[in-house]
Amino acid sequence: MTGWTLRLRQAPVLRLDLRGLTPTALGALTVAEVERAPVGHGNQLLPLAEFFSVVARNDDSLVFEGDLARCDRVGWQMDGGRLVVDGAAGDYAGACMTAGEITVWGDAGALVACELAGGMLTIEGNVGDFAASTLPGSIDGMRGGRLVVRGHAGARLADRMRRGTVVVFGDVGDFVASRLVAGTIAVGGHCGAHGGHAMRRGSVVFAGSAPEPQPTFVPAIAEVPVFWQLLARDLARHGGPFSSLPARRIERHLGDLAADGKGEWIVAH
Amino acid sequence: MNRNGVAIDDTFAEAFPMKATRLLITAHTLEWAHHAAAAATGFATSVIGCGCEAGIERELAPDRTPDGRPGIALLLFAMSGKELAKQIERRVGQCVLTCPTTAVFAGIADGEAVALGKNLRFFGDGWQISKVIGGVRYWRVPVMDGEFVAEETTAVVKGVGGGNLLLLARDTDSALAAASAAVAAMKKLPNVIMPFPGGVVRSGSKVGSKYASLGASTNHAFCPGLYGLVDSELTAETRCVLEIVIDGLSETDVAAAMRVGLHAGIALGAEGGLMRISAGNYGGKLGPFHFHLHTLLGVRQ
Repeated sequence: MTGWTLRLRQAPVLRLDLRGLTPTALGALTVAEVERAPVGHGNQLLPLAEFFSVVARNDDSLVFEGDLARCDRVGWQMDGGRLVVDGAAGDYAGACMTAGEITVWGDAGALVACELAGGMLTIEGNVGDFAASTLPGSIDGMRGGRLVVRGHAGARLADRMRRGTVVVFGDVGDFVASRLVAGTIAVGGHCGAHGGHAMRRGSVVFAGSAPEPQPTFVPAIAEVPVFWQLLARDLARHGGPFSSLPARRIERHLGDLAADGKGEWIVAH
Repeated sequence: MNRNGVAIDDTFAEAFPMKATRLLITAHTLEWAHHAAAAATGFATSVIGCGCEAGIERELAPDRTPDGRPGIALLLFAMSGKELAKQIERRVGQCVLTCPTTAVFAGIADGEAVALGKNLRFFGDGWQISKVIGGVRYWRVPVMDGEFVAEETTAVVKGVGGGNLLLLARDTDSALAAASAAVAAMKKLPNVIMPFPGGVVRSGSKVGSKYASLGASTNHAFCPGLYGLVDSELTAETRCVLEIVIDGLSETDVAAAMRVGLHAGIALGAEGGLMRISAGNYGGKLGPFHFHLHTLLGVRQ
């Protein structure tokens, strides 16, 4: 399998749709074939070489260079391999990914990791709204894998998320974990309004602030040392605000009682 | 062969393939982990009547357990994966789930997955919660002291059961001393258990019986009470025989345990009352694993 470096020549006039450009799809192609790979530009499909220069790599990674803030669906439905964006990425980065590893060294747009099913997606910058949530119109959001955001996240983080782990080092916007079905969300910074709205199950962990849960949550009196150590140790390996979690005392609330009520709002003191 | 006055028979122990798993039980204190482990491995001396053979492998310090609490590692062996799965569910359900503060985890990562907490979760009556952490699914079952956490599955691997040593001694005191020393040495090794009480069995058996309904019966050739009455393996000086049965996760593990057991017996020597060490087999026709005593002591066959 061949790795490629795709260097964006200049900012595109219209937004680009990079679906189909995955390490496994491009790894078996020749330079000429890669240059002819279709890229969505507005309502047209144009050859990749119109926008990117193509250089083979010594490893099997797929690396995008340049400011891809106007390039959507980076790593869309990716099923393996390693993809790196050496800059910003547009909307839907890592969406519907099932396996592999994506690293975005800049910010990413909206709907990052939506319907992520497996693999590891790391955003070194900030992400927009609806990260780890659903594609518009779908019932279930992220359903596996791990999303790590080193910066801040926008509103509706993990809306309808069903499985997997989301770790945000910075702040999160309003309605974090809204309609959460299950899974784990860890927040290192502050949280906006209406967190946990209508969450059914799952765990939301606050390592950096102590936001009050909604009135439809009840205090949990049971001690859960085993569960907490398992979860805290897993989160601690991300470092930063999460590194001290195993040694910290927690306060839990259960809810949202307006939904299934089996979710947990966990504040680490 | 004679070592330190102890005759080492030119024979071998014959062992069989089994299905095995390791479970890790943790608790608030080591004492409570022991309570659960002892209960879960109770009545598990022989597959002949217990369904499985089980025992405590070793204690685990808090830094060696998944949840940072003190724990115990158990090994369970059965003749089939299906029977082992049944025994795991019964024993964990009745002896670990019930024991205050305990949690249970798989102790082997790779192998055929069988249910651990997967079915026990239904005790939660709908309040059980699944949690996937680091790619592993756990079940959290609400109980009266908080919650019982169990990993969803444990891995079943191929094991070896039936390694054994027969210790022929001058009298009861000598036999017990030799057996205790051998078991103590074997317990220091990983991946093995000695499933009988104290690791020792006094009712060694042979295949078959004069009674058609029995598959096994007393090993009459090693019974001092029958000396002079039957074709005995004993002499007038060997008046007590004890056996140590060893189950291990591999042939190498069983061999290592038998080797340290042999050396422990030899160290006691004839002066300590141990006259002879032998091993049980069925002529090599039934079990594929043969542990020759002389080979274990470094003498080529």
